[in-house]
Amino acid sequence: QQTVRGVVTEASSGLPLPGVNVIVKGTTTGTTTDFDGNYEIEAENGSILQFSYIGFQTIEKPVTEETLNVALQEDTQQLDEVVVIGYGTVKKEDATGAVDMVTSKDFNQGPVTSAQQLISGKVAGVSVTSGSGAPGEGQNIVIRGLGSLTLSNSPLIVVDGIPLDNGGVGGSRNPLNLINPNDIESMVVLKDASATSIYGSRAANGVIMITTKKGKDGEFKFNYSGSTVVYSPIDDINVLSPSEFRNLVTETGSDDAIARMSNSATDWQDQIYTNAVGFEHSFSALGNAFGVPMRASLGYSDHDGILKSDNFNRTTASLNLTPSLFDDHLKIELNARGMYTENTFANRGAIGSSIAFDPTKPVFDQNAPDKFNNYSGWYVTDSETGDVIQNNLAPTNPVALLKLQDDNAEVRRFIGNAKVDYKLHFFPDLTATVNMGYDISNSNGRTVVSENMPSSQEDWNGSLFRYSNNSRNRLFDAYLTYQKEVNDHSFNFVTGYSYQDFRYDDDNYNSELEEDGNPDFIQIGRSKNVLLSYFGRFNYGFQDKYLLTATLRADASSKLNPDDRWGYFPSVALAWNIQNEDFLMASKVVDELKLRIGYGEVGNVNGLGDYNFLTRYTGSQSTANYQFGSTFYQTYRPEPINENLRWEVGKTFNAGIDFSLFQRRIYGSINAYIKETQDLISNTTIDPFTNFGNIIPANIGDMENKGFEVALNWNAIRNDHFKWTISYNIAVNDNEITNLPDQQFVGGISGGVGNTIQTHIEGEAPFSFLVYEQVYDDAGKPLEGVYVDRNDDGIINDNDRYIYKDPYADIFMGLNTNLTYKDWDLAIITRANFGNYMYDNVASSTSYLARLTENNILTNLHADYLATGFSTITETNLQSDHYVKDASFFKVDNITLGYTLKNALPNASIRLYGSAQNILTVSDYNGIDPEISGGIDNNFYPRPRSFVFGVNLDF
Amino acid sequence: CHNELDQFPIDPDSFTEEDVFSTADEAKGALTKLYASLALTGQQGPAGDADIDGVDEGFSQYSRMLYNLNELTTDHAVVGWGDPGLPNLHGMSWSASNDFTEAMYYRLAQEVSFCNSFIANAEALSNDSEVLSFIAEARFLRAFAYYNLIDMYANVPLTTIVSTELPEQSNRAEIFSFIENELLEIQDLLKESGSNEYGRVDKVAAWALLSRLYLNAEVWTGENRLDDCIVYSTNVINSTYQINTNDANGNGSAYDELFLADNDTNGAQNEFIFALNFDGLQSKTYGGTTFLVHASIGGTMAASNFGVNGGWAGLRTTKALVSKFDNAITATDGDGHPTDWADSRAMFYTDGQNYEIETIANTFEDGYAVTKFKNIDSEGNQGSDAGGDFVDTDLPIIRLAEIYLNYAEATAKGANGGDLNLAVSYINALRERAYGNTSGNISAGSLTPAFVLDERSRELYWEGQRRTDLIRYGQFTTADYLWPFKGNSRDGISVEDFKNLFPLPNNIIVTNPNLTQNKGY
Repeated sequence: QQTVRGVVTEASSGLPLPGVNVIVKGTTTGTTTDFDGNYEIEAENGSILQFSYIGFQTIEKPVTEETLNVALQEDTQQLDEVVVIGYGTVKKEDATGAVDMVTSKDFNQGPVTSAQQLISGKVAGVSVTSGSGAPGEGQNIVIRGLGSLTLSNSPLIVVDGIPLDNGGVGGSRNPLNLINPNDIESMVVLKDASATSIYGSRAANGVIMITTKKGKDGEFKFNYSGSTVVYSPIDDINVLSPSEFRNLVTETGSDDAIARMSNSATDWQDQIYTNAVGFEHSFSALGNAFGVPMRASLGYSDHDGILKSDNFNRTTASLNLTPSLFDDHLKIELNARGMYTENTFANRGAIGSSIAFDPTKPVFDQNAPDKFNNYSGWYVTDSETGDVIQNNLAPTNPVALLKLQDDNAEVRRFIGNAKVDYKLHFFPDLTATVNMGYDISNSNGRTVVSENMPSSQEDWNGSLFRYSNNSRNRLFDAYLTYQKEVNDHSFNFVTGYSYQDFRYDDDNYNSELEEDGNPDFIQIGRSKNVLLSYFGRFNYGFQDKYLLTATLRADASSKLNPDDRWGYFPSVALAWNIQNEDFLMASKVVDELKLRIGYGEVGNVNGLGDYNFLTRYTGSQSTANYQFGSTFYQTYRPEPINENLRWEVGKTFNAGIDFSLFQRRIYGSINAYIKETQDLISNTTIDPFTNFGNIIPANIGDMENKGFEVALNWNAIRNDHFKWTISYNIAVNDNEITNLPDQQFVGGISGGVGNTIQTHIEGEAPFSFLVYEQVYDDAGKPLEGVYVDRNDDGIINDNDRYIYKDPYADIFMGLNTNLTYKDWDLAIITRANFGNYMYDNVASSTSYLARLTENNILTNLHADYLATGFSTITETNLQSDHYVKDASFFKVDNITLGYTLKNALPNASIRLYGSAQNILTVSDYNGIDPEISGGIDNNFYPRPRSFVFGVNLDF
Repeated sequence: CHNELDQFPIDPDSFTEEDVFSTADEAKGALTKLYASLALTGQQGPAGDADIDGVDEGFSQYSRMLYNLNELTTDHAVVGWGDPGLPNLHGMSWSASNDFTEAMYYRLAQEVSFCNSFIANAEALSNDSEVLSFIAEARFLRAFAYYNLIDMYANVPLTTIVSTELPEQSNRAEIFSFIENELLEIQDLLKESGSNEYGRVDKVAAWALLSRLYLNAEVWTGENRLDDCIVYSTNVINSTYQINTNDANGNGSAYDELFLADNDTNGAQNEFIFALNFDGLQSKTYGGTTFLVHASIGGTMAASNFGVNGGWAGLRTTKALVSKFDNAITATDGDGHPTDWADSRAMFYTDGQNYEIETIANTFEDGYAVTKFKNIDSEGNQGSDAGGDFVDTDLPIIRLAEIYLNYAEATAKGANGGDLNLAVSYINALRERAYGNTSGNISAGSLTPAFVLDERSRELYWEGQRRTDLIRYGQFTTADYLWPFKGNSRDGISVEDFKNLFPLPNNIIVTNPNLTQNKGY
C-alpha cells in the first residue's frame, strides 16, 4: 500500500476539476478530488485507478509512482447520449423518432434574450423568426411547415416536464422571456408524430423540450456571464428624399399644395431610430449544499430598442434542488423560476407616420400650437370656433408619437415544479413518478397619451388605458415506469395520467388621463379550460438492434362537447441499429447506422376558444348598451355555436436514417415525412339563418405537408490544438390544402378598409397570394389599372385574380461552422431561405401620386412611386402582383470570436468574446427585411445589427 | 375528476340561457339586443366583439349598410372612398361577393335568428303581460328584417326556428304573406299608440310597416295593394304620432330638429314611429348617425358646426338631388349654380364644392355636401361625447312624414279610399314645415305620382328609402331616369334589370346548396 497523490484537470482548459470520483478498480476504496482538483488515495503499486466525472470520459491509469496526474477529456458523445423525451429519457441510440438535441455548448451566442433564439438555424426543419427587431421580442417557431389554418402553429414547449401555456399575457413580449437562456442545458426538438404523440393533443406542431441546468454533487462552482451590446439600425424604408419630395410637389401639385411646403429637410426615419445599448448579467452557482445538489442563478437584462423609447428590462432568478434519499430510491427535483420584466413599449405608430410625414416640415415649429408642445403638424383652424386642432386625416408627428405616449407594463411570472421519482424498494424495476407544476403570470400595463399629443379635439385631456392580465396553469402528472432487461430483450413501459388546467383573468380600463380612479370603461375577460389525459408508451429492444416504440395518449379537452371531447392518439415506430449487426460490427467506417420508420397521430385544439359548443349569451359593455325610455340597458347576445367541433388530427409518417462515420468524423441524419392534417379547424362561413353569427370555427378541410430534411456534421479537423467542425442542414417542405369546400380570404392589408391579399383554397399552399397580373410597358413600367384578363371575359374583376406564390419558404438551410485553435474559438452561423415571397404593403399603400397632396395636406410617398408612377390607390392596384416579391435570402446571422484565458486567475477560467449579429442579408427583396412572418411587410419594426462584447467567468 | 372537463363560462359578462330567461327583467336585456343589433355592431362599442365577422365592424352597422345599399346606389349620394366593393355601389357594378351586399344579408339573417331564438325562449315567461309585448316586438323586428330581405334579396329562406339544418329557399310572395300575416296578428298584441317606452315600437309601427309593404306589393308580388296601403296609412295618421312642428332651435324650420342630437326630446320624437337610438357615450358605433355626420364633413366645412371633432370626407350628393329643389332657389353662385333655397330641407353645403361631379374617387370637392345630420342639440351644444367622436342623434327608420307620402302616393296612383284633398293637405303640411310658410304649398292638380316621388326625395333623402322608391317607379335600372355616374358613366346610363335585386352572398350559395342565386349574378 502506498499513498498516491495527484491533480485532476480538465483537458481542454487545464483547470482543476473538483468532485471527480477516484476509485481503486475492483475495490470499494474511493475518494473525490477537492476544490483544487487534488486527491489522495491508498493503493497498491500496479493496481488500477479509475477517474470518473459526469460529462467526461472515464480514464483508467495503473499506479506506478506516488504522483499520478490525469487530464479528463470532456465526453461530448456521452452528453448526447441521453435524450429527454416525454415522460422519460431515452438513449440516443435507442430513439426511434425524429429527435434533434442542441446542448448548451452549441447554442447561439450574442444578445440572446429568449430561448428560441438559441437554436435558430441549428435544427433542420425548424424555422425560428423573430416577430420584429424590438428587444425581448417574441419568436415564431414553425416545425415542418404550417399544420393548421386557424389554430396555433406553434410547437408545445415543455420546460422540465411542465408543458407551458402557449399564449402570452398582455404586456409581455414573449412568454419564453421567463427563462434566462443561461439556465438552459439542452433543447430537444421532437419533430415527428411517433416522438410527439405521447403529448397527444398539444403536440400537433412538434414539441420543444427544454431542460434546465441542474445541481451537481461536489464543490461549488460559479459562473458569471456579462455582456454589453450595441444595436444599430441597418436600413430605412425607401421613401422620397426631401428634395425628391419637394420636386414632385412642385411639378405636380396645385398652387395651394406647393404653398403648403415648409423649408426644412427632415429624414423622419432618422428621427425615430437610434443606436441603442443593452446589458446582460448572469450569475450562477452549482454544487452540493447540505448534502443536496443545487443550482441557483440570477439574471439581469436591460436592452433599449432602436425605436426611441423602447426598453426591455428583466430580472430572473432560479433555484434547482435535486436531493435523493434512501440510496437513490427517492429522487426529488425541485425547480422554482421567477421573472420580473418591465417593458416600455415605443409607439410603433411612429413607424408608419415616419414614412408618411412631410419631409419639408421640421420636428418642432414655433408656429405650431403651444398646447401641442410646438410639434410640427397639420393643424387647421375651425372657422366657427377659432380652435386650432389637428386635421384628423393627417398623420401625427412621429417624434410626438414617441415622446408623448408612455406605454409600459410590468410582468411577473413564476413557474415551480416538484418532481418525485420513487424506485420501489421491493420492486426496483418499477419507478413511480409524480410531477406537479404551477405556472402563474401577472401583468399590469398602462398606456398614457399626453394631453399635449396633437389631436383633433380642442379640449382633449389625454387618455389612459390600463389593463391587468393574469394567467395560471396547474399541472399534475403521475406515471409509472417499468424497466427491465432480460438477456437480449429490453423493455420499458410507461403509463400515466395527466391533468392540466388553464385560467385567464383579464381586466381592461379606459379613462381620461386625469380620472385614473374613475374609469369610464371596464372590460373583463375570464375563462378556464381543462385538459385531462391518460398515456402509455412501450419500448422494446432486441440485442440493441431492433427497436420498437408504441404510444397511445387519450386526451379530453373541456373546449369540446362531451361526445367528441376524447381523442385517442396512437403512434408506432421501428428502428434498426444496423451498426450492431455482425457484418458492420468490425467496420472501421461505420460507427452508427440506424434506420427509423414511424407513424403517429396527434390532435390539436390549441388556439380554439372555450365553450364553443355551449349556448351562451354575452352581455354588452357599458359603451354598447341600448336606450329604452331614458334608461340604458345591457344587451344579451346569443353567441354562435358549434356543437359538433372535433379534434383536428395530424397524421405523420416519417422515415429516417441516422449515421456516423469514421469515428464520428462525419455524422448526421436524413428524414422524410408526410403529414396529413385532417378535420382542419378553421373559421368558416355559415348562413346566419342557421346560427347566431356568420362565422364559426368548424372542422372543414384537410392539409398536407411533405418534405425531407438532411443534417450533416463534419469534424473537418480534430487535433489537440485545432478543431474545425462544419454543420449543414437543409429542409424542403411542400404545404398544400388538399380539401377545403369554400375558399377563404385572409391576410388583411392596409390601404382602404377590408382588403385582403391572401387566400386559402384547395390545391394551393395556405396563405397563397391572390393577385391581379400586372401588365407592364416595353420599358418595364407597370401600366396603372391594366391587368391581364385571365379568364378572357372582356372585363377585369375579382375573377381575374390568380394564385401567385406564397410566403413560406420551400427550402430552408443552415450552415454553421466552429473553429477552435488553442485558446481561440470562432463560430459563424448562416441561414438561407428559398422560395418565400413577400407582399410589400408599404410600397403598395403609400406610392401613388394622389397621396402626395390629398386631404389638404402633404404626405410623403414610397420611392416605388418613381418606378410605377401610379396616380391613385384602388383595390386592384393594391392587389397587383407587382407588389409580391421574391424574398429568398441568405443571412449571416452571427459571428462570434472568443479567447479563453486559462491561467489569468487561480482556479478560474475566463473567456472573452466579441460577437456580431444580423451581419449580412443577401436578397433581391427591396423592402426592409425579407424575413417577416406571414409574408406581409407593413410597418415592420426593423431588426438591428448588433455588436456584443462579453465575458464568461468560471470559478 | 372527469367532472372538471365540464367547464362553464366564468366571465361575468357571459350568461346561460337559463340566466337570460329567468325573469321578464332579464329577458328585457335579450329584447334590447334585437333592437341594438340594428343600431350597434357588437357587444363592446364602438368596435370589438362584433356581431358580424369578416367585415370591418363599422361597415356592418344596419343603417350604414342601408345607406350604402339604398342611397349610395342612387342619385342621392356618392362616396370618395375606395374600400373594396364600395365604389361598385354607385357604379352599379356589384358582384355576388360584394362586402356590403354580403354583410347586409348577414346582419338581417342574424336578426331573424336572434328574434326566432328570443320568441321561442320568451314563451316560457308569457304569463307576464310585459313579456307578451316583448314577443310581439320581436315578431315586429323579425318582420322588419324580412321586409328588408325581400326588398333587397327577394328569395331568402323563411325560418321561424333556429336550426343548423340548412333551410330551403322561399320566394317573394311567400315572404310577403308571412310579413303581412305577422304584422296583422301582432297589431293587437303590441302596445297602444304612444304607450310604449321611447325606442320600442307599438302597434302603429305594425301599421306603418304594412303601409310600406302594401305600397310596394305590386313590385314584390305582382298584386296591387294600394287600397290596403290607404287603410293602414290612415290608421297611422290617426294615431297619437304627430309631425314635428316645434322649431326648438328657432332657425325658422321644424324640419332640422328631426336630425339633431336631442331628437329624442326636442319634439321630433313624436314623429318617430321606429327609430334607432344612439348615444355618444353609452351606445357607440362607427355606423349609424356617427357615420352620417362624420362622413358628410370635408372640404372647408367646420366640424364644430356639426358637433364632432372632424370629417371623414366621404359622402356627397349629385346634382340630381340638388335639382329637386330648383323651384325653391333663392341664391346662385357666379356659375348659376344654386347656393340657397327657400325649402329648408335643401341642406347642402356649397362653399368650395362643385355642383357637377367629374371625379368621385379620392376627392371631396365634386358634388355638394349634405348637412342634414348633426350632433348638436337645439341649444347649439355638442352631443354627450366631449371628444366629438360619437354622435347622440337618433335615426328615424319610419317616421310619420313617410306615411303621409305613402298615403299621397297611393292616392295619386288611384287607390280606392284615398282622398285627394286629404293627400294634398298632408303634402302641404310637410311643405309648410319645410318653407316655414305656405309659399311652397301645392294644389290638388300638382299631386301626380311623379311629384310624390320627387317629394319623397326632398323629404326623405339619405334616410334609406331611395332605391326602393326608384324601383317602384321603374327608374332604378332603366334609361327612364339617369343621374351622374349611374352605371359608372359620367352622365349616367341604364344597367341590366337584374340589378333591381342584390345577389345572395356567394359564400352562402356555396354553404347552402338549397339556395339558387338571383338571376344575373
